[in-house]
Amino acid sequence: MDGELLSATFVELTDTLVADFDVIDFLHVLTDRSAVLLDVSAAGLLLADPRGELRVVAASSEAARLLELFQLQGDQGPCLDCYRSGRPVTSPDLAADTRWPRFAAAAAEAGFASVQALPMRLRDQVVGALNLFRAAPGGFDPGNVRVGQALADVATIGLLHERGMRRSDTLNEQLQAALNSRVVIEQAKGKLAERLGIDTDEAFTVLRDVARSRNQRLSDVARAFIDGTQTITIPATAKPRQEASGQVPPRPGPGSSHRP
Amino acid sequence: MRGGRVSAGDVCAAVASEVEVTGAWLSAARGTEAGHLMWVTDAVSERLAELHLTLGEGPSLEAFAAGGPALASDLADGESGARWPAFAPAALGAGAVAVFAFPLAVGAIRAGVLGLYRDRPGPLSGFQLGDSLVFADTATLLLLDAGNLEDGNEEPGNQEAGDMQPRAGPGGQPAGLALHRAEIDQATGMLTEQLGVSITDAFVRLRAYAYVNDLRLADVARNIVARRLRLPLDPGLSLDTEA
Repeated sequence: MDGELLSATFVELTDTLVADFDVIDFLHVLTDRSAVLLDVSAAGLLLADPRGELRVVAASSEAARLLELFQLQGDQGPCLDCYRSGRPVTSPDLAADTRWPRFAAAAAEAGFASVQALPMRLRDQVVGALNLFRAAPGGFDPGNVRVGQALADVATIGLLHERGMRRSDTLNEQLQAALNSRVVIEQAKGKLAERLGIDTDEAFTVLRDVARSRNQRLSDVARAFIDGTQTITIPATAKPRQEASGQVPPRPGPGSSHRP
Repeated sequence: MRGGRVSAGDVCAAVASEVEVTGAWLSAARGTEAGHLMWVTDAVSERLAELHLTLGEGPSLEAFAAGGPALASDLADGESGARWPAFAPAALGAGAVAVFAFPLAVGAIRAGVLGLYRDRPGPLSGFQLGDSLVFADTATLLLLDAGNLEDGNEEPGNQEAGDMQPRAGPGGQPAGLALHRAEIDQATGMLTEQLGVSITDAFVRLRAYAYVNDLRLADVARNIVARRLRLPLDPGLSLDTEA
């Protein structure tokens, strides 16, 4: 495990009191770094909607099949069980697991053999779950799982404690705005995919590159693109196909905002 | 509810009793503005809606701009006073102590705002928050389907479409937004580009197509995203078949 990247990640995940804090960008840091640091194929983050379902907010890759796999767990799967119990849920070999037949089939189709769900929990409040996938069957490395839970814990404290403790209203406002921002991002992915003749996951990479190069929030870029107040063309340097598979993006040093 | 037809005004009345608030109001968007008041349940609600227009600040305007709720459990606390220095004292003077505003939004689509108030302080419980969001979703769809938006909508008042919401989809799924699917949002984005219409109109067209052809919205969306389906450019082609 990359110790330097790990400590940088912890610093970023606790740095939530910056003026331009954005839940979506924050949770993307968590999923991106989890995928790299924990030696897993993919990581995703689901938040509980007070309407009574789990919804995908961030993922280490925007591959449509992967997003569907996260989404499916609003009905059944390790994340739903993890969210309801507030405890980690794991399946080292989904092919032999009978708990979630629909989920297991979809996971196999997407190329995953084992899964781990870790609660986003502070005391008795569970706000969602961090979901890790591996292509090969077998148990997750216990050390990596501990680090994954620590990352989830730190992120949860960042969301709940520092920002929400004073007013529960604030947390609900932010989580709902984040869920709606995720919808804006999906809409922008569709519009950009159609305009440029690319896949929706490639469109996400372009949106993200544009947000980074303009030093703007992803959700703001997506909204401005939908509203027609900003145009987007493929940056000359972007290579969506290669980057979509989940490399670590360049990040600023500790102490600065979590966006470059 | 008259003859099974549900209007956004009915939602406004229902939410006030179900969520245990004193009153509610509902404004429809005019273009990029939130302020066209459509329904109120009492005089205080009407006053609260007016105050937003007069003062140019308040939870409704903030919710509309942010795309997320603006929740003030106690307008007399310092934070609300700092957040809305003119609105908070004026609303207290009008008889409201807690105000909760919910955007009627689907991503970048903004249909209006649902406002709730209480004559006593206190946050919405988790269940009440969830119920409020579901009511807001329902009101959003009803407003969009009724064509009440003045968002460059060239085809106003398809009132019959208002019937589509309460009905469950052919697959027995709930027709509301509680069923969040990324494909639906992506397909809406693709349609805005394909058809050259606003994101609001794209969403209306997508739902109308599914309704008219008796297809599941998620299936239509998936086919559009996979580029197996393109909707006709002229909305009349799909809507005419409804008769």
